[in-house]
Amino acid sequence: MTGIVCAIRGGPHSQPTILQAISTARQYKIPVHFLYVVNLDFLEHTEQSRTHVIEQEMRSMGEFICLKAQIEARREGVQANIVVREGNVAEEIIAVCQEVKADYVIIGRPKGEHENNLFDLERLEKFKQMLETRSGVTVIYSQGE
Amino acid sequence: MKYRLNMRSTLFILALAGAALFGFSITKGQAEAGSPGVVLTGSVYDRQGQPVEGAMVTIQKPGESIPALKHGEDLADLQALTQADGRFLIPILEPLDGDLVLVTQRTHYKTIETPLGSAVVTKLNAGESISLADVVLVHQISIAFWIATLIFIMVLVLIALGWLHNTLSALMGAALIFIFSYLGPIVNKNLYIFSFNDALKYIDWNVVFLIMGMMIVIAVVERTGIFQWLAFKAYKVSGGRPWLLLAILMIITGVASAFLDNVTTMLLMTPITVQIALSMGISPLALLIPEVFASNVVGISTLVGTPTNILIGSYARISFGNFLSNLTPGVLIALIALILYSLWIYRKELKTDTDEEMMELLMEKLAKQAKITEPVNLRKAGVVGLGMILLFVTGENFHMLPSVTAIIGATALLIWIKPDIEEMIESVDWTTLVFFMTLFICVGAIQEVGLISYIADWIGALVGKNLVLAMLAIVWVGAVLSTFIANIPFTAAMLPVVGFLTGNIPGAESKVLFYCLSVGSAMGGNGSLIGASANMVTAGIAERAGYPITYTYFLKKGFPALLITTGIACIWLLIKFL
Repeated sequence: MTGIVCAIRGGPHSQPTILQAISTARQYKIPVHFLYVVNLDFLEHTEQSRTHVIEQEMRSMGEFICLKAQIEARREGVQANIVVREGNVAEEIIAVCQEVKADYVIIGRPKGEHENNLFDLERLEKFKQMLETRSGVTVIYSQGE
Repeated sequence: MKYRLNMRSTLFILALAGAALFGFSITKGQAEAGSPGVVLTGSVYDRQGQPVEGAMVTIQKPGESIPALKHGEDLADLQALTQADGRFLIPILEPLDGDLVLVTQRTHYKTIETPLGSAVVTKLNAGESISLADVVLVHQISIAFWIATLIFIMVLVLIALGWLHNTLSALMGAALIFIFSYLGPIVNKNLYIFSFNDALKYIDWNVVFLIMGMMIVIAVVERTGIFQWLAFKAYKVSGGRPWLLLAILMIITGVASAFLDNVTTMLLMTPITVQIALSMGISPLALLIPEVFASNVVGISTLVGTPTNILIGSYARISFGNFLSNLTPGVLIALIALILYSLWIYRKELKTDTDEEMMELLMEKLAKQAKITEPVNLRKAGVVGLGMILLFVTGENFHMLPSVTAIIGATALLIWIKPDIEEMIESVDWTTLVFFMTLFICVGAIQEVGLISYIADWIGALVGKNLVLAMLAIVWVGAVLSTFIANIPFTAAMLPVVGFLTGNIPGAESKVLFYCLSVGSAMGGNGSLIGASANMVTAGIAERAGYPITYTYFLKKGFPALLITTGIACIWLLIKFL
């Protein structure tokens, strides 16, 4: 199985990434795998480490965000799958790329300085190189995230 | 002077019991000095009128030096230690001789020497027990004062900046206090703050066990899917009208927060709210921010709704029923105002951008997901929960502390539903309990060295005997400070201060100032993103859904909410208590 892995987070900033993924999938007639990674780092500094409570809820939310993208893709006649993982975003993207033998990865290029953004420009470039080396995929940027 | 210790101890206990029975009134001697029953009694207080425990009181000749009592060392004759209520009782076992003084000394206080006077000595020798006038000790600023203060500030800063986990910050504070207390005196005896045993006295176990019991109950409730089901029902009831949905969600979140902790409530409400909002084509922030406002405000209507209320209730002996009757009406008015305010600020965002087909598909998924997953356990939790509320309300009639109710409720629930006990115990957030215990030690240290007394003196001088001024000061200073610093350590530190003001301002006996502290510290949480843990977890989840909540964004929406709700609660308290 080949296709495009599109890591999304939801929200208006993810929309260009989703559209780019759908358009690329249509162009190459391959499926798109919308990936949402549950990351619970934000609970680290609160007085309650309630990861056991929130994990399932975050998974459901991730599925929901991907479902929204999946509906958009299907409207354009593109086959779309939903993948929800938990852990480190970069590692999970690599893992999914290897699992689905992806040809392309589409990730959003940050517009501004987002706090805690995994994909700031410098890291994004390093990440792109690592991803291409480790998975043999082509990384495509979209404006957003 | 030659009596053996056990004999002295027995006499002391007998005398103490006798004196307690007669309320420490001056008793006419029935025996001569040196006979059992002749005692010199009195009480030692600090400048705020709080009893001083552990002060050594000695009858001696003027100018004589007495070595400080070491741990485990027995008291000498004509010497006593003050009890928790500040009282002391010195048995007069032999006739007294000459000019004598009563020396009162305690670490971190200036030593006081009070002449006994020949009349007192004569009466004691004639076998008459005497109760002396109260001794007032005044704190002295030593190196330990500055060290304890700096450690406390360091803990506050570490928590505020998030450099260390809250629990680790407080634990580090407690560890430093003990390092200075035990190793410091090798270099300089003034570095001593307090002993481990003294530190333990500052831990409020009622708070610790109440929180632990409630955590077990919450661990059962949160697995039942009740929050997701309620949120989806709210959508159904609203008929897709965003303004009505917002109001219903705020009420649900508020009521849930009054009985469960705010963080858990928001952890469970946020993901489902995001999904409902996305289905309807509205910004999730237009529902999430009002929800978190409601959670912070309505939480204060019960004893168990916020950690600050648990602290206040335990310290000031304010019952569950008292919180309900004195705060709930004001909180409900504030909630109505908050709903109107939220509808106004989100009037644009609440306009739906509906894609019917997509909405239908998304709602289908939500309907499958938003189900009660453990209906039997939910029913059982409901029964136990009602029983607990009944006990919380009526418990004070049997002198039952809220912690006892929480432990009984949690145990009953565990026995009834027979969950995996390991899993349930893991659900107890032990880091939070350690946070509270170590925080109590840090606050105890600044209380011990006198910082709290100085703050109390300062606020006391500022507000004088004016109750209205004191109320306004506590509510608004509390609200503004809780916006920027963690409200739990702030409240814990303020309790003795408010206790002092309550004892010194006419009309404050109703404990109104404690309610003011509750309002200020909790409603202040709405003022900024870092004002409450519930805000932070909501922002964390929203950010992971692609809707980041920045500090400025929250401040713009939250600070007016703080002003409105605190203002209303303040007016309510003034009407209710004046």
